[in-house]
Amino acid sequence: MSVSSVEFIFLLLVCGAIFFHLPGRGLKLLGLSAANAFALALLLPNWQSAVALAVFLLSGYVVARVLQRFPSMLLLSGYLLALVAAFLVLKKYDVVQWALPMSLVKHPIGIIGLSYMLFRQIHFIVDAMQEQIEGGTLCAYLNYQLNLFGILSGPIQRFQDFHEFWQNPQPLIADRHELLKAILRINWGVLKLAAIGGVCFYVYELSLSTLDQINRGFLVQFSLPRRLFYFAVMFYSFPAYLYFNFSGYCDIVIGGARLFGIRMPENFDQPYLARNMIDYWNRFHRTLSHWIRDYLFMPLYKGAVERTPTLAEPLSIVFMFVALFLAGVWHGSTLNWVVFGALNGIGVGAVKLWELAILRARGRQGHKAYLKSPKIRLAAIVVNLNFACLTYLFFPVDMAKTLRAINAVITGA
Amino acid sequence: MDEIRSESQQVFRDVFGDDEIVLRDDMTADDVDGWDSTAHINLIVALEKHFKVKFAMAEISRMKDEDQNVGGLLRLIAKKLGKAG
Repeated sequence: MSVSSVEFIFLLLVCGAIFFHLPGRGLKLLGLSAANAFALALLLPNWQSAVALAVFLLSGYVVARVLQRFPSMLLLSGYLLALVAAFLVLKKYDVVQWALPMSLVKHPIGIIGLSYMLFRQIHFIVDAMQEQIEGGTLCAYLNYQLNLFGILSGPIQRFQDFHEFWQNPQPLIADRHELLKAILRINWGVLKLAAIGGVCFYVYELSLSTLDQINRGFLVQFSLPRRLFYFAVMFYSFPAYLYFNFSGYCDIVIGGARLFGIRMPENFDQPYLARNMIDYWNRFHRTLSHWIRDYLFMPLYKGAVERTPTLAEPLSIVFMFVALFLAGVWHGSTLNWVVFGALNGIGVGAVKLWELAILRARGRQGHKAYLKSPKIRLAAIVVNLNFACLTYLFFPVDMAKTLRAINAVITGA
Repeated sequence: MDEIRSESQQVFRDVFGDDEIVLRDDMTADDVDGWDSTAHINLIVALEKHFKVKFAMAEISRMKDEDQNVGGLLRLIAKKLGKAG
């Protein structure tokens, strides 16, 4: 069942209308647990996946509880390594297929949303060890992980925020106006995801297929301007599709969650108006970017500042590259994601280098003036938009088709 | 609390290289030039060293939230020093 389907929206509105009429906290939580279990049952293809998911989640909860009582960096590091290794095997990453026997890689397990569960699990374990999580029963943890409003593709909610709701479910919608706003947001999400995103994807497929046919010699006598036109359409339509599709999905789940009193974090903030790639990742899929910042970049950089302060600044660029590269690679298990991750890593690294160069050349006041200039801002937005679109050439898994399309533009055949 | 504010203000001035910074409770990262993710960590490490406290990763990331401000940071330091209230 798609989140933009009539059935899903109908169920969402009906359950949302009933939820706060259920008497008592226990019955409300039971209702939500049942809804989460129902959504999970639709997503699990077989019993092996259910067992693997249970082991994955329960191990995280047990380790978090142990670390809460007996903090140990050794146990934390060892478990995180094992968790990431298990994730790579379960998701059948290319690197695992090269390193392990096929009998281990060819398994029937398929768990939708496992990547997001990995992020939430790492956050839960690290925060538990650092005494940032109070309480939290197994039931609360499982519902946090399997929350139907975040299970598919986020947004990545913090456990503390979910737990606040879990302990005392209260309506977020105070009056009719707010109710209408939530319903409008859900409908707007459906429109973005199914209609606008759908059209953008159709246009993308059309332009990509035209260029592919030119490359294969099925279409001839296409002049360079015409080929460039098709390339431009392909170049901009895919990022547009991605934005409308993903932000539409987020509108549906954030609006839907509000009906149940759950405050899901915002995930988008006009990303294509960002002035550079660091700004961009603060606006596009923000909860993922913030997770990467909090659990990858900050610990690495903090360690460098504490241990080697003189090297911290140049190392920050390396860490930014590593963080964004890993974020790119996390998206999927094939080679195109390596290119996507590397381009994003280069993008954010270049931004930091550029900033340092301006600071050295013009000082803090000069940098301030640079940031305030409307002309520079406009130019930066245009450059960044095109760079972001360039990275998305490598987002679709069929990288060979994209490369054939690029070849068609250059050679005309 | 005034003591924490005045000492924190000096740490802010050192980290951001700006002697004109005057801390207000409602101040956010947007109000201080150059308060990005790297500067945030530089500031945290400097505050940890100065006050001899330790911030958890969740506390550090919470400080970057849009609804957080300098007042919250000062209260957190006070809490860690046992001077809350």
